[in-house]
Amino acid sequence: MKISSQNIAEAVYRATEGRSSQDLAVTLKRSAQVLKDKHMLGKSGEVLNALQNIFDKKTNTVRIKITTAKSLGLGERNRLENRIKEKYKAQIVVGEFFEKKELLGGMRVEIGDEVLDDTYKNKLHKLEKFLIQGK
Amino acid sequence: MSNHIVESLKREIENFKTQIKIEKIGKVLELFDGIAKVSGLSDIKSSEMVIFQNGVMGVALNLEEDAVGVIILGDFSKIKEGDEVSSTGRILEISVSDNILGRVVNALGAPIDGKGLIRANNPSQNSGRSDSESLQTRTRPTAYPIEKVAPGVITRLSVSEPVATGIKVIDAIIPIGRGQRELIIGDRQTGKTAIAIDTILNQKGQNMICVYVSIGQKDSKLRKIEARLEAGGAMKYTVIVSAGASEAASLSYIAPYTGVSIAEYFMDQRKDVLIIYDDLSKHAVAYREISLLLRRPPGREAYPGDVFYLHSRLLERACKRNEKYGGGSITALPIIETQAGDISAYIPTNVISITDGQIFLETDLFYKGIRPAINIGSSVSRVGSSAQIKAMKKIAGTLKLDLAQFRELEAFSQFGSDLDEATKRQLERGKRAVEVLKQFQYAPMKMEHQVIVLYALVKGFMDDIPVEKIKEFESEFIDYSENNAKVFCKEIIEKKMWSDKGEEQLKKAIEDFKNSFLIEKIAPKALSR
Repeated sequence: MKISSQNIAEAVYRATEGRSSQDLAVTLKRSAQVLKDKHMLGKSGEVLNALQNIFDKKTNTVRIKITTAKSLGLGERNRLENRIKEKYKAQIVVGEFFEKKELLGGMRVEIGDEVLDDTYKNKLHKLEKFLIQGK
Repeated sequence: MSNHIVESLKREIENFKTQIKIEKIGKVLELFDGIAKVSGLSDIKSSEMVIFQNGVMGVALNLEEDAVGVIILGDFSKIKEGDEVSSTGRILEISVSDNILGRVVNALGAPIDGKGLIRANNPSQNSGRSDSESLQTRTRPTAYPIEKVAPGVITRLSVSEPVATGIKVIDAIIPIGRGQRELIIGDRQTGKTAIAIDTILNQKGQNMICVYVSIGQKDSKLRKIEARLEAGGAMKYTVIVSAGASEAASLSYIAPYTGVSIAEYFMDQRKDVLIIYDDLSKHAVAYREISLLLRRPPGREAYPGDVFYLHSRLLERACKRNEKYGGGSITALPIIETQAGDISAYIPTNVISITDGQIFLETDLFYKGIRPAINIGSSVSRVGSSAQIKAMKKIAGTLKLDLAQFRELEAFSQFGSDLDEATKRQLERGKRAVEVLKQFQYAPMKMEHQVIVLYALVKGFMDDIPVEKIKEFESEFIDYSENNAKVFCKEIIEKKMWSDKGEEQLKKAIEDFKNSFLIEKIAPKALSR
């Protein structure tokens, strides 16, 4: 049977659950060895992502990526994080903030594979489509 | 004028409202020929449309644990790893309107014939929809999903009305009914497409819409077909759906479904539709390519396990619907190309078992000059004579018997030279029957003419005409009968059966014509010997 990155990540999570720091180091070393033996070192990025997702699910953590044309102030960032916390009923919100001038204004919020694009660039793009296609 | 443009644009912009909603976005992980593996898109449905960052569309086919396999419907050379892909929430659909008739469209229903956009129906165009429907809906092209569950048993009616192909051997021996699925199968260059094109040409004035789906064919061949249909005045009631040989396999894969969606649009208007899939072998090959790229497990001949379902769900959409559920019908003529006459290969056997009969074409017959090169012994129509008019039914029974006896005796007669009179007579009748059933390409024959010619044959009027003169006799007699067997022709057209009076007139016409034909064409030759 084909072993997926998700399978490895789940196995690593179970193997590390409740271990002391000494045991943990040994387990992680073994996990890396398994990846090597299964010729899956090239997929280590995917495994780490999958592992991160498992931890996030267990700890009820939501990761958000916010891109704006101008950088947001600390107050705005906190307000945003709190809103997300409320909406997704999350315990922890980990925010990454980016700046992209070509967005012109507004904000793009990414949570997992969900995207809320309220940037001016997107609105102009939609207007362009509307005027061309009449949609 | 410029003010007007500025004002209009201002109004449009003012009316424009963007609704910001949460979208599901994925990222391209891997890209193969026409296939992309996309991460994210967690809530995506099977067969849902997706849009790549550069505007190219795709369809989600493989829903895996951590990724989605998408077939790309367009130019995939500009898509790169990491590109964003957004889901649309809509199953793949095409826009159809009455104005699609006479056009050549691609697998996505977009015109490719250079005649401009396909406009929506005018409010004045009778779309057959209920009056309660708003004007606005009727002026928009209708969106039809490409994948649809076939009509159920309750909605169907048994096949009873004929599709006149204009080809004598088919109309007489292997009749096709409206709502039937009849497979045309044979090796390359045996005249499979010719039968399909002749059938389309013969639908003029028969109240039938035709859809020709070209899958993986050369563009030059398609151009020739279009020109032929145009010249025969058949494009007025025909739509051509094309997924050429140079296009991606994904387009070849969806082209038949696009074709049947167009057919369903017209069927929903209570019309009868004839759809031709040319050919489903190439369709299966395209699906095999996609499946292998999607890493689905290969089965027999490397086709995936669901290749039967691929064709059965397509051909099940052909039906005759009863009046309560809107009426109309879709008749399907799928084409399968065999290799060296092997009808026991995987795809031919699959499609044979799905369809309601097959027209089997043979290379040997083709090169013997028997065209259409139909092997009557291996061909069958499971709907049978219920899809024939009464007059044809009456003649066809005798014809079938004559031909069956001829086939048996022909083989037998090669071993012995002493044959009794009755056997000789049967052999001679059989030879004439084979000759009569030969027909030129692009020369479909009206039903009443077919009945007249076959009547003359089965009643023995042609027994004393030399075999090599049969074709000449046939064509001249048809012209003669136009004026001299009017009653008979009229009865066939109107009542689908002759009366005693009509039959008497026809018999007299045949006798008179035969006498003059024998004197003019046969006697001088006999005397000169």
